[in-house]
Amino acid sequence: MKKLLALLLSVTMLFALAACGGGDDSASTGRTPGDIAADGVLKVGVKTDVPGFGLLDTVDNTYSGIEIDLSYKIAEELGIDKVEFTPVTAATRGQLLDSGDIDMVAATFTITDERKQSWNFTTPYYIDAVSLLVKKDSGIEGIADLADKVIGVSTGSTSMQALIAAAADQEVTLTDDNFSEFATYPEIKAALDSGRVDAFCVDGSILAGYVDDTNHILESVRFSPQEYGLATKKDNTEWAEYLENLITGWLEDGTIAQIVADNGVVASFEAE
Amino acid sequence: MIKQISELWRWQVLWADWPKFAVAFLKTLEIAFFALALALCLGVIFGLMSTSHNRLLRGIARVYVEFFQNTPLAIQVFFVFFALPYAGITLSKVTIGILCVGTYTGAYMSEAVRAGIGSIPKGQFEAAQSQGFTYIQTMALIILPQTIKIILPPMVNQMVNLVKNTSIVTMIAGGDLMYRANAFATNGTMSYGPSYLVCGILYFILCFPLTRWARRYEDRLKQRDVQTNLEIEKMEEELV
Repeated sequence: MKKLLALLLSVTMLFALAACGGGDDSASTGRTPGDIAADGVLKVGVKTDVPGFGLLDTVDNTYSGIEIDLSYKIAEELGIDKVEFTPVTAATRGQLLDSGDIDMVAATFTITDERKQSWNFTTPYYIDAVSLLVKKDSGIEGIADLADKVIGVSTGSTSMQALIAAAADQEVTLTDDNFSEFATYPEIKAALDSGRVDAFCVDGSILAGYVDDTNHILESVRFSPQEYGLATKKDNTEWAEYLENLITGWLEDGTIAQIVADNGVVASFEAE
Repeated sequence: MIKQISELWRWQVLWADWPKFAVAFLKTLEIAFFALALALCLGVIFGLMSTSHNRLLRGIARVYVEFFQNTPLAIQVFFVFFALPYAGITLSKVTIGILCVGTYTGAYMSEAVRAGIGSIPKGQFEAAQSQGFTYIQTMALIILPQTIKIILPPMVNQMVNLVKNTSIVTMIAGGDLMYRANAFATNGTMSYGPSYLVCGILYFILCFPLTRWARRYEDRLKQRDVQTNLEIEKMEEELV
């Protein structure tokens, strides 16, 4: 009986601990545009390792890319000039939003119906396609060659599901055993270099940053449009609407197309 | 996090994936079990070496302990996973988990064993020697059994750490419990709340019995000690 009680107590404590960790999200619904303007700082979660989108220059500690320019543009609309960037990964960005550490995520965050259940997304500001990076001497020419290969993907990216679906269309079955999930892109690249994985699968824009003499992107393999949207906390509707209006406006007047071109990124992918 | 935990549909999504969690749980168990066996062997061997009179053996044990204690486990795992294939050595992820976690924990265990042996009075060694025990017999029959209750608490700490440290293979996509929880938390519906909570509970289920068992075993050993002491006191009294 005493033992049981001890166990019960411990489990309760575990729950209590979990509660402490996530205390923020039940407390507030997040900051409104007015709050952010009054505070003078816009907090944005961005990528640090995606050339053209969110890249951190470690020499002078500055960020550059489409998503950085977009963040400054939004800050400008809010009438403030300070943007605080927080590096995020595919695995951390949702939780940082929920905890209130950041106001929005601009980090090649693909919009999906499932994700919409947890966060608000704006209209996509960029549409990418998933592609494959393989070693030149690997002999892999298309999805049909992948059945017995291991593919490196990023934890919490949509690439895995997209590739499984694209492979199914070509009657190739890929299972969990075909995939290795890594926390960061550089790790996948290291795994590709050392032969731990046979292919590196992620959005084309991201892959472009990892091309070198030994590997190439399979030009014939471009599938599953990836729509990048700005993500915000689910119950902060006022802020979500504010951003939605800005993005749709900028898509219409060509502001976003200009930002994309300025950063040397190919125009949005058009699905056939 | 709390909000996600209170949403029933997320638990249903999680429940639908339970076989994957079961497979991952078994993988963690497998790595932990073999790594523990390896760590115990290395701990005893290097613990003995570091108390030996041979300077070379002592030196080797020192190098082993210092190397593994003073470099992060993550680097060791990365090295074996990413770098060794260039030398033509490609180990499976489970093997890497067992090897790395085992040798890493072994270093800490050997320190515990060394301290344990060091705490046994010198007279015990001399008495054994005078009775014609060989080195191995002395250690196996006289010294090590006495060290058990001294080193048990730190050893169990290391065992529990070992179980938790197996989650390092998540970094190399090892398919263990933490990896599965991460994958579930960041794919599909991104239900990280239920996923991490269940993951935590499963690790708890692995570690908790271990600490409970150790506590009880330690108590029993101490009790036996008290009884022996009482008997000795009684004998002494009778003599007086």
